[in-house]
Amino acid sequence: MNSLPVLLICLATLVGISACSKQKKDGFYQTGIMYCSESNPVNFNPQLDTSATTSDATSHQIYDRLLDFDPDSGTIVPSLATSWSVSDDGLTYTFQLRREVAFHTTDYFTPQRTFNADDVIFSINRWRLPQHPYHQVSGGRYPYFESLGLAENIREVNRINGYRIEILLTQRDSSFLANLATDFSVILSQEYADKLMEDGAPQRLDHYPIGTGPFQFESYRKDHYIRYRAHHNYWGQTEFAERLIYDITPKSSLRLAKLITGECDAIAFPAQTELDIIRNREELELAEKPGLNVGFWAFNTQRPPFDNPNVRRALAYAIDKNTLLEAVYFDSATRARNLLPAASWAYQNDAEDTAYNPVMARKLLKEAGVEAGFTMTIWAMPIERAYNPNAAKMAELIQGYLADVGVNVTIVTYDWTTFRRHLREGLHDSVLIGWSADNGDPDNFFRPLLSCGAIPSGTNRAMWCNKKYDALINEALQTEDLFQRKAIYEQVNSLLFKELPIVPIAHAFRYQAFRKELKGMQINPYGGVRFGGVTKQL
Amino acid sequence: MIRILSRYIILFVLTLLVLAAMSFSLAYLFPGDVLTNLTGITAQNDIQRNALIKQFRLDSGYLVQFGYYLNELFAGNWGYSFISGLPLRDEIGLALPATIELASYAMLLAIVIGIPVGCYAGLRSYTPADYGINSASMVGYSFPVFWLALLFILVFSLELNIVPLSGRISLLFDIPDKTGFILLDILLADNIDRSLAFKDALQHLLLPTLAISTITTASMIRLTRRSVIDVLNRPYIAAARSRGLSRWQIFFRHILRNALLPILPLMAIQITTLITNAMIVETLFSWPGIGNWLIQAIYQRDYPALRVGMLAVASMVITLTILIDLFNRLIDPSREKYERATV
Amino acid sequence: MPQFSLYEEEHHPSPWQRTWREFRASHIAFVGLIVLGVFFFFALFAPLVAPFDPLQQNINALLIPPSWELNGTITHLFGTDALGRDVFSRIIYGCRVTFGTSVLLVIIAMGLGVTIGTVAGMMSGVRSSIVNHLLDALMAIPTLLIAIIIVAVLGTGLVNSMWAITLALTPQFIHYTRTFVRSEMKKEYILASRLDGANAWQLFSHSILPNMIEMLVVQGSVALSIAMIDVSALGFLNLGAQPPLPELGAILADGLDVAYLAPWNVALPGLSIFLIVLAINVVGDGLRSALRKRVSH
Repeated sequence: MNSLPVLLICLATLVGISACSKQKKDGFYQTGIMYCSESNPVNFNPQLDTSATTSDATSHQIYDRLLDFDPDSGTIVPSLATSWSVSDDGLTYTFQLRREVAFHTTDYFTPQRTFNADDVIFSINRWRLPQHPYHQVSGGRYPYFESLGLAENIREVNRINGYRIEILLTQRDSSFLANLATDFSVILSQEYADKLMEDGAPQRLDHYPIGTGPFQFESYRKDHYIRYRAHHNYWGQTEFAERLIYDITPKSSLRLAKLITGECDAIAFPAQTELDIIRNREELELAEKPGLNVGFWAFNTQRPPFDNPNVRRALAYAIDKNTLLEAVYFDSATRARNLLPAASWAYQNDAEDTAYNPVMARKLLKEAGVEAGFTMTIWAMPIERAYNPNAAKMAELIQGYLADVGVNVTIVTYDWTTFRRHLREGLHDSVLIGWSADNGDPDNFFRPLLSCGAIPSGTNRAMWCNKKYDALINEALQTEDLFQRKAIYEQVNSLLFKELPIVPIAHAFRYQAFRKELKGMQINPYGGVRFGGVTKQL
Repeated sequence: MIRILSRYIILFVLTLLVLAAMSFSLAYLFPGDVLTNLTGITAQNDIQRNALIKQFRLDSGYLVQFGYYLNELFAGNWGYSFISGLPLRDEIGLALPATIELASYAMLLAIVIGIPVGCYAGLRSYTPADYGINSASMVGYSFPVFWLALLFILVFSLELNIVPLSGRISLLFDIPDKTGFILLDILLADNIDRSLAFKDALQHLLLPTLAISTITTASMIRLTRRSVIDVLNRPYIAAARSRGLSRWQIFFRHILRNALLPILPLMAIQITTLITNAMIVETLFSWPGIGNWLIQAIYQRDYPALRVGMLAVASMVITLTILIDLFNRLIDPSREKYERATV
Repeated sequence: MPQFSLYEEEHHPSPWQRTWREFRASHIAFVGLIVLGVFFFFALFAPLVAPFDPLQQNINALLIPPSWELNGTITHLFGTDALGRDVFSRIIYGCRVTFGTSVLLVIIAMGLGVTIGTVAGMMSGVRSSIVNHLLDALMAIPTLLIAIIIVAVLGTGLVNSMWAITLALTPQFIHYTRTFVRSEMKKEYILASRLDGANAWQLFSHSILPNMIEMLVVQGSVALSIAMIDVSALGFLNLGAQPPLPELGAILADGLDVAYLAPWNVALPGLSIFLIVLAINVVGDGLRSALRKRVSH
C-alpha cells in the first residue's frame, strides 16, 4: 500500500527477529524476579502506613515479625519468636526469640550483632511510647496501632534475658497475637537506629531500611522501581531469587501487557475484566482465594448534610448494589450486607441490607431538606484494590444513579498519596474505598474502620464517632468465647444498619497473576505478597 | 559576524530571563502556599517557616525575591520535590537526558530516512512514485502519536511478542547513571554483560523511537520534497542542464545544497513537535524521561517540580531553537530572519 | 441557448472559481473534502445522527463487540464500552466536541493572531522586534508544557486546555500576518490608496484583508490539524476534557483499561481522530497546490 509504513514495519520486524530469536532465554534473566506493583510506597516501614502498597514492598520482603500466619490454614505460626505462652488471666504474654538471626549487611550499614530482645523492645516501643526518641521521627503517626488502640493497652514490654521478652496488657485482648502477626508489626534493628541517631539522620531508618527478611533493600526511584538483593544469611531454610525488582506500573492494563510480554513475572491486582484473559493464556497462572475485605462507600459524617443518618440512608437506597457488582467486579465478588465477609467466623448471614429504592430515596431526601440539584463530591480512589478494582467506574455509575434522585455528583481523584492525605484532612463528602483485613479477627474490620480512635489515624473514612459502637466492640474483646463475641457483633451490625455511616458494597476475591516460570508463588490469606521461597525457572 | 553573535547572545539571555521570571511567578500563581511552591519544603513549625521566609527573601519586594531566586538557580539549588522530597536538580538530571536520547535517535532516523526519500520524491515529482511517497507521508503526518504508539504496542509487543513495551532496559540490569544516556552508561558500566545489556536496551528503544520518528520523518519528507521541487524550477538548474552536466552532478552540486539550506530553520520547528511527541510517547512506554516526569508531577500536583520542570524543558527547547537559527544565519547570511514551516 | 448574445463576452472566472476548479481536479483532495464534510455534518447534527445518548449507561450491554464481529449486534454499530455506552454515539459526540472545539480554537487564534499581527506589521522598529522575539520564544515552548502549566494553575478541564492550545496556535497567525502585512505595505496599490487618503483601518479592511484571506485559509487548515491533535492528546493525557464528556482522546484513554477485552474501544476513536486529521491535511494540501497552480498558470 504505502511504502513508508511498509518500510518501517519491515525494518522493525527485521531488527526484532534478529534480536529476539533467543530473547529471555539467557540465564541472566533467570536470576531475578520482576514484580509489577501498582504504586509508590510511602516509606519503607509498614508501622507508619496502612497502605498495602507500603506493606507489600516491605513486610515480607525486608522484615520479619515475631509471629506469622500460615499461608494455607491462616493459623499463627512461629517466626522470629520460636515459642510463646499466655498467662491464665490473658494479660501476660511471654515470647522465646530465635537465635542467630542476621540483619542485612548493606552499603549503608554493617551490623555488629545478631537479632535479640533489644530489637523487639525497640520496635514495639517506637510506636508505643510517645516519649521514645524515635516516636516523632517521620511524623509520629502509627495508623494501624493507633486505630486499634494497641499502644494504650500494652502496659509494659520487659526484657527477661537476651532472647526472652514479656508483654503485659492492661485489658484482655483476644486479637493480640493476631495483631503481632500482621504486616505492620515488623521488627527493626535497634543497633541501626542507634547508629543513625548518632549520625544525626534518624529519618533514614524509614527510607533506607534494615531488617532480617529474605531480601535487602538496594535502591528506589519514585514512579520507576525498587531494587532488592537476596539476603544470603537469611535464617529461614527457603530458596529465593538473587534479585527482586518492583517495577512500579500504576495502570492495570499496562501491568497485564507486561505480564504477557514477560517483562513482569508477577503483577499486583489484575483487573477483574482481565481475569479471563489470564486464565486463557497458557503461559500465565491465576491463583484465587476468597478475600477478607470489604469495599464500601463512606460518607463524611462530620459534614452536613451527611451528618444526618436519613440522608445517608436515602443515598444508600438510591444505588443498586447488584449492578455495581456486575459492572465493576464482573461477578468476582459477593454482595456485602455489612463489614464482615462470609469467610469470617463472625459472619451474620441474616443481616439487614438496603435495597434499591429510588422512590424511597427521593422521599427521604425531601424530608431531610435536601433540595433537587444538590451537589456532592464522590472521591474515587485512583488505584485498583481487590475490594474495589475500578473506583472511577463505580463513581460514574453512582453518578448516574444519584442523578435520578436529583443529586449532582462531582467525581474527585488525585494520585494515591495526595488522595489519602486529603482524606485524612476530611476534605471529602463521600469516598469509594475499602479495607483488607490484616488478620482474621473481626475486630480488625470494626475497629480500624469506624471507631472514634481511628479518625486521627486516618482509617475511619466516614469520620464517624459513636460511643455505643465503641463500647460494643470493646466488650467483644473481653472474652475468648466466640459464640458470645458473635452475638455482640450482631448488635454492632444492627447499629451500623441504623446509622449507615458507610454503605458496604462488596467482598471481593483475591487474585494473584503470575507467569508459569515462577515456582512457589502463594496467596497470603491476609493481604501482602511474599517472595521468599519463590524462584524462577525458564 | 560579531554583531550577529552578540545579538543572539542578548536574545538568548533575555529569553532565559523571561522564562526564569515566568517560572518564579508560577510559585505565586499555583494554588497553595507560596513558600512550599518555591522551596518544595513544607515547614513543620513557625521557626522553620520564618527561617525559610528569611532565606528566600519572601519578606522583601518581588525584585529582591527574584534576584535571590536567580541566584539559587545558578547555584544549582532548584528546590525539592513536594512528593518525594528529593532535590529537583537530581531528578531532572536523570529525566532530561532520557528524553534527549529518545528525541535525538528519532531525529536521526527522521533525517536518515526523510531527506533521501524526500529528495527522491522531489526529483521524480508528479510521477506515480512521488504520489505514493507523498500520500504515505501525508498518512504518517496525520497520525496522532499516542494512537500510533498504542498500535505499535498492540502489534509488536502483544501480538508478535518480539519487543518489550516499557522502560529503557530490563530492570534486571543495574546500570549506574553516569551520563544519563543509557547506551553510553552501558558502555561505562562494569560487572554486567555489556552485549546482552546493549541488545536489551536497543529492543526497548525500538518502538518509542519508531512511533515518534514516523511523524517527524513524514514532515521531513514533505519539507525536502517541496524544497527540491522549488529548487528544480530555478533558472540556474536549467542553466546547469544546458551546460550538459549529468543528472547526478546537477543533483549533488546544485540541488542538494540549495534545497537543504531552507530546510534547516524548519527543523527548529520540528524539534518542538518532536519533543512534545516524545513527552507523550514516554508516558505510554513508561520511559523515564522528562515528559513522563512532568505528567506524573501534574497528576500529583507537585508544584515545585512543575515550576522547575517547565523552566528546564523550555530552556532546552529554546536553546536548541536559537542555536539552529544562529547556525543557519551564519552559513546563510542572505537569509534575513527566521522562517517558519509550511509542511 | 435561447438567449442571444450580441457581443462575444470574455468570461473571467474569479480567483476563487479558478482555485475551486483546480481543487476539484484533484480527486484525492475532493474525497478529503467529502470526508471532512461528513465529519462536519456529524459535529453539527450529532443529536440527530447518534442513535443513543452518549452518556447513557446500560448495564445489560457491557462491552458488546462491533456489529461486524460474530457476537455484535446491529443496535450497537460500533459496540459498547465498559459502562455499556454506545461507542458509535460516543464517537459522533466526540467528533462534535473534539472537532468543534478545534474549529472554535482556530477561529479564536486566527482573530487574535490577525489583530496582533496587523498591528505589529503596521508598526515598525523596536516594538515590532520585541513582539517578534517574544513570539519566537513562545512558539518554541511545546504545547504540552503550556497545557501542563495552565492546568496546574487553573485546574483540569476542556476550557482550560483550550487556553493552552490557543496560546500555542496564535503565534503562527501573528507571524504570517505580520510578514504579509509588512510586505504588502511596501506595494504600490497600498501607496495609491494611501494617497487617496485612506486611514489605517480602511487600508486594512479594504486592501490588505481581502488579499490575506487565501493565506489565512491555508494557515487555518494547518492550524486545524494541529488543534485536533493537541485537543485529543490533552484529553488522552487526562489534562483536557474530563469524563464523562465524550472527547475523542478521552474516550481513547477510557478504552485503554479494556484494551485487550475490547480493542475497538481503542481502535475506533483513534481511527476517527486519524481520519479527521488526514482529511484536514488532504484538503489543506489540495488547497495549497490549487493555489500554487492558479498562480503559476
